[in-house]
Amino acid sequence: MNEFVERRISLRWGDPKRAYDVVIVGGGGHGLSTAYYLATRHGIHNVAVLERGYIGSGNSGRNTTVIRSNYGIPEAVRFYQHSLDLYQSLEEETERWVMHQQKGMLWLAHSEMGVRAERARAEVNTAFGAETDFVEPEQIREICPQLDMSGGGVWPILGASYHAAAATARHDRVVWAYAEGAMARGVDVIQRTPATGLLREGDRVVGVETPNGSISAGLVVSAVGGHVTTLASMAGLRLPIRTHPLQAFVTNHYRNEFHPIVLSADLLFYVSQTARGEMLLGAEIDRQPSYSYRAGHPFIQSLAQRAMTLLPFLGNLKVLRQWAGVCDMSPDYSPIMGKTGIDGFYLTTGWGTWGFKAIPAGGEQMARLIGEGETPELMAPFSLDRFARDRTMADRGSAGTH
Amino acid sequence: MINTNLPGNQISVDRSPIDFQPGDSLLVAMLRAGLHPTGGGCLCLAGDCPHCIATVDGVGYVRTCQVAARRGVVVERHHAQGGRPPLIDPEQRESHVDARHIHCDVVVIGGGDAGREEVDRAGAAGKDVVTLDARDGEEVAGIYHGPLVVARSGGGTLCVYPREEIVVATGAAEIQPVAPGAELAGLMTARAARALAEAGIDLGRVVAVGMPPEGVDAERVEGRVVRFEGAGRVEAVVVAAPDERETRHECDTVSLGLGFQPRDALARMGRGLPVRVVGAAAGASDIPPCPLEGTVCPCSGVTVADLEHVWARGFHELELVKRATLAGTGTCQGSACVPHVRSFLAEKGRELQPPFTARPLTRQLTVGEIAAGACHHSTPRTPLHDEHLRLGAQMDRTGGWWRPWTYGDSIAEYRAVREAVSVMDVSTLGKFLVSGPDTLPFLELLYPTKVSTLRPGRSRYVLLLDERGYVLDDGLICREGDDRFYLTLTSAGSTFGEMWIRDWAESRGFDVHLLNQTRSLGAINVTGPRAAELLAKTGVEKLPGFARHGVGEVAGVTCRILRLSFTGELSYELHHAASDSVHLWRTLLELGQDMGIHPHGMDVLLQLRLEKGHIVVGQDTDFDSTPRRIHHEWAVKLDKPEFLGRQAVVRTGKVPLDRRLVGLEMDLPAPMEGAVLWNGQDYAGYVTSSGTSHSLGKTVMLAWLWLANGKLPETVTIEGRTARLAELPFYDSENERSRVKVSLDVTRSVDRSSAKTGDDQDLGRFERLEATRIVASPETLDRSSLPAGAFALRTAPDELLVEGEIPRDALDDNHAIVERETSFASAWVEREEATRFLQRACPWALPTERPAFAQGSVAEIPVKLWFEEASVRFVVPAAYAADLEEQMT
Repeated sequence: MNEFVERRISLRWGDPKRAYDVVIVGGGGHGLSTAYYLATRHGIHNVAVLERGYIGSGNSGRNTTVIRSNYGIPEAVRFYQHSLDLYQSLEEETERWVMHQQKGMLWLAHSEMGVRAERARAEVNTAFGAETDFVEPEQIREICPQLDMSGGGVWPILGASYHAAAATARHDRVVWAYAEGAMARGVDVIQRTPATGLLREGDRVVGVETPNGSISAGLVVSAVGGHVTTLASMAGLRLPIRTHPLQAFVTNHYRNEFHPIVLSADLLFYVSQTARGEMLLGAEIDRQPSYSYRAGHPFIQSLAQRAMTLLPFLGNLKVLRQWAGVCDMSPDYSPIMGKTGIDGFYLTTGWGTWGFKAIPAGGEQMARLIGEGETPELMAPFSLDRFARDRTMADRGSAGTH
Repeated sequence: MINTNLPGNQISVDRSPIDFQPGDSLLVAMLRAGLHPTGGGCLCLAGDCPHCIATVDGVGYVRTCQVAARRGVVVERHHAQGGRPPLIDPEQRESHVDARHIHCDVVVIGGGDAGREEVDRAGAAGKDVVTLDARDGEEVAGIYHGPLVVARSGGGTLCVYPREEIVVATGAAEIQPVAPGAELAGLMTARAARALAEAGIDLGRVVAVGMPPEGVDAERVEGRVVRFEGAGRVEAVVVAAPDERETRHECDTVSLGLGFQPRDALARMGRGLPVRVVGAAAGASDIPPCPLEGTVCPCSGVTVADLEHVWARGFHELELVKRATLAGTGTCQGSACVPHVRSFLAEKGRELQPPFTARPLTRQLTVGEIAAGACHHSTPRTPLHDEHLRLGAQMDRTGGWWRPWTYGDSIAEYRAVREAVSVMDVSTLGKFLVSGPDTLPFLELLYPTKVSTLRPGRSRYVLLLDERGYVLDDGLICREGDDRFYLTLTSAGSTFGEMWIRDWAESRGFDVHLLNQTRSLGAINVTGPRAAELLAKTGVEKLPGFARHGVGEVAGVTCRILRLSFTGELSYELHHAASDSVHLWRTLLELGQDMGIHPHGMDVLLQLRLEKGHIVVGQDTDFDSTPRRIHHEWAVKLDKPEFLGRQAVVRTGKVPLDRRLVGLEMDLPAPMEGAVLWNGQDYAGYVTSSGTSHSLGKTVMLAWLWLANGKLPETVTIEGRTARLAELPFYDSENERSRVKVSLDVTRSVDRSSAKTGDDQDLGRFERLEATRIVASPETLDRSSLPAGAFALRTAPDELLVEGEIPRDALDDNHAIVERETSFASAWVEREEATRFLQRACPWALPTERPAFAQGSVAEIPVKLWFEEASVRFVVPAAYAADLEEQMT
């Protein structure tokens, strides 16, 4: 018997109605968690979530499942720490097993400048509630004995920041737990239904067009990944977003002997072992913008080589599968959430390579905005108009990694 | 790992030796010895199913039917014992695998009838064909953009690049049984039964369900398999006829001919690429009857009951069922289970769903096999790399280069700069020559400074902004003549900088020539109150004044001398041909010996500039730093009609300022960089640079400070202590030391004839190439007359690299850039060695005619190749010569 068969979650699919208070476009983690928190925290149940494929088929089901809050600016640290906290209580709240495992994360430095950067990260993280310590090589060895501290004689490990609260969870189950919770409270989740247009009355957005007819809505929320610029343009909005592919690969199943999440900013990869025993590896985004989900060879070849430099044991493991997702990158490497300046149209995007870890807080904050009408404090710094107001949120702590 | 104590015809299985016969796969050898690799399950002998996997020579999940038995192979049956293989093999063998790059017209995957037919046809048409056949040990893992086919072979990983097409002739896999007892030994597909019988394995009494195996004596039975009976090994099979009447058939072996599904994963993966599918691989899949009981996915242990369970809970899409049960996510990636899951879902949902997305890898490779052919990203070395090592420097990767971090005594390094004289290797600075009729308007666009007011012989500090008005980089701009400038950028910024500069020149159509001299020139900064005194000893005749530059002979070496100051002391940067670096460095250290000279590294440099409040782009700036935020408004001239970022600077200039990069000071000890500033209870920013000022006896910092009520707070709290806003620079606030007036007193003239001793860095098998680099319009280069027989490479339409010295007047273009170029190293390599290396390290197609020139990335190093009949001349930047040599051996 396979202990990883989903045994508890039950999905009840609704039949689409012609009108809802809120229509959320995008049945990924952010769309479904928004629906969940609307239903559980704000008593808003007359909600539809439209998904062009199946739920979680986009980046929610393609990421490397890391949960962390060790970002580079206070606004981001606070936001992701809130998300990390919500993740910690998600199993208790939903009574579902999302395979949440606290693992701790090592962010390795291979140069003196890298050491300075990790010391700085530890400072700003700790000041804003995301406990992170700078650790010396001896401690790194204890946390992850499999690391070749000499980096193959090429990339020696000089130090690291250690973020003990970092965790992983099974991405699909997070999506389903939120979907189930929303469905159980009356939210209609409608698969195989893309939004092909937005209904407008003057400047106001009043609904969504689909191949099965139009659906009117008091409010439309875009929780789309990938083609968000297309959807926003239907509302007359030009977004500062470029979409880039990001790839990952996973090995076959081995005994669970690798505990932490390890990341090297110089070698640009990150690795952890899943509950099933697969080694899961990811790297940086492709430089060329694209919506392509096609897996590439130079990517996996180079990533394999870089990862083996620090973890030579990987060399003999069999690779099962590689895949790609897409990342919506904003100019300051921070998300864009909330009001858009267009009535009836809210947005959550710019989730780059950090969307999975933000699912709980992203949904909770969006639901608060909808439920209470005021932009909540944690969301406020990430508004779309920050670019026009010269209040960008440049975050090196997120740039280029996951 | 290989057990060489075993005799010639034995392998080791679970530490016991067993015999094998010539031609045996590991699987057949085990079956001969009565061992099943996983304990049971329907064997296919074709690499489709997961039932023959074992750990082979430390590598888990190896399909033993695809591996030839060889003397001494060590097999461990972790899977038979019901467990997963260990993650870390304590006796791990070397996992380095070689790659081979092959270019051809057509690649045919599969050596069956359909494949052979394609090979013959393409061969008859004169095509260059490569055949990859899993039965010959060439297992294809994936089809990628390129197009590229990646396969494992006995000799390493093959990367095959077809110019025309990929033919997928992979045939069809046999459908696996799903029924209770399917995990027993003694079950095999019809094709496997035939193959094993031919190999001389005693199958005992055989019952053949469905299509019977050719040439095997078997009891034939038609109908649906209800269950297999037995303990460990099958003893009987129960089959239901179409009228559901069950019959029981005792046996030792069950042969299962249940139909076929095309091996079309490669074809589906290759959609959008020139892929053609032929033979059985192009056929439609047989859909078996809906499974009623038993294991559907043997890799993940998913049963029919599990499918029922998730179906009942709303998981109806094939992808959702896969994710909820993990069916199809194991070793065989759905080969065994997908027909059954599709059949199940078709029965439940009345719709046959397509199989899930085909992704690499169709046949598993190890991480090591995938990495084959990839190289470390090389970090370049300056011409002085070995000198630093000789002086005991700790080298660090900084700004993309190896640089000395410290020579071991930071205090001594600091004192030498502040009190005497010091040298630093600044060869890594971005260095560019720009020339051409449009140079002035082009640079006016590029920089926010007023370029036209800069007179020849003068230099100026400049910011480089992007269109959003954010700081990309900083550096110097030095005017050499009316239409000729020398630009510097930071070490980390030079690669991006070149792309940035070229992009704007091209997109706006400016007529300019650009030469990136970052690697071409070494640069040594001579700094300290006695810098001029030291240079006087080298025989230099004239030194430029502050913010000026000029050309002079220093110790017999022609240098571009730039006077500006990053350290805060009197400083001269000596930019010179890379081949002269070692001589110049040694001479300076020798002449400075009695003056207390001590070279300094990055660590001290960062400290020195911090005392002066000079920013380091990337450390003190972020990617949304505007000139206003870093308090560099003075470097931006808004009265210019246009420059990159102007619009944005004007627009954001109207928005109230939110934060500013400021100087802070406080008592010792110095807080960490990244430390947070508090203004009472409010967050007020963070420290970007922090250090102890030895000269001032206090902590000096640069920090982002948030304005409160429109004003910068005068004091903030850091780690519970008070820090005060400070005017910059902290040190020598009037800049008297850096701008000191110097009168040169030439104390000793160096004899030029003996000056250059031929000191140079060790380039291993390579030799430094003494050459000339020419940048001019393509038309000018086309009609230039070079000396007969000169070794010349046209490295770009507007660029030429010529061995030897070329006089400036060889080109009839006033704006042509003609510069001595000594930063390349070259070596002639015999054809065989070159071919071997390039097949392994060069993914792109090489020219076939001779002679020929090609250039590109080889082993991740920029290499120029000159092909002659018997040998190949490798030309590589000397900065990478050591790395290339290492890759070649």
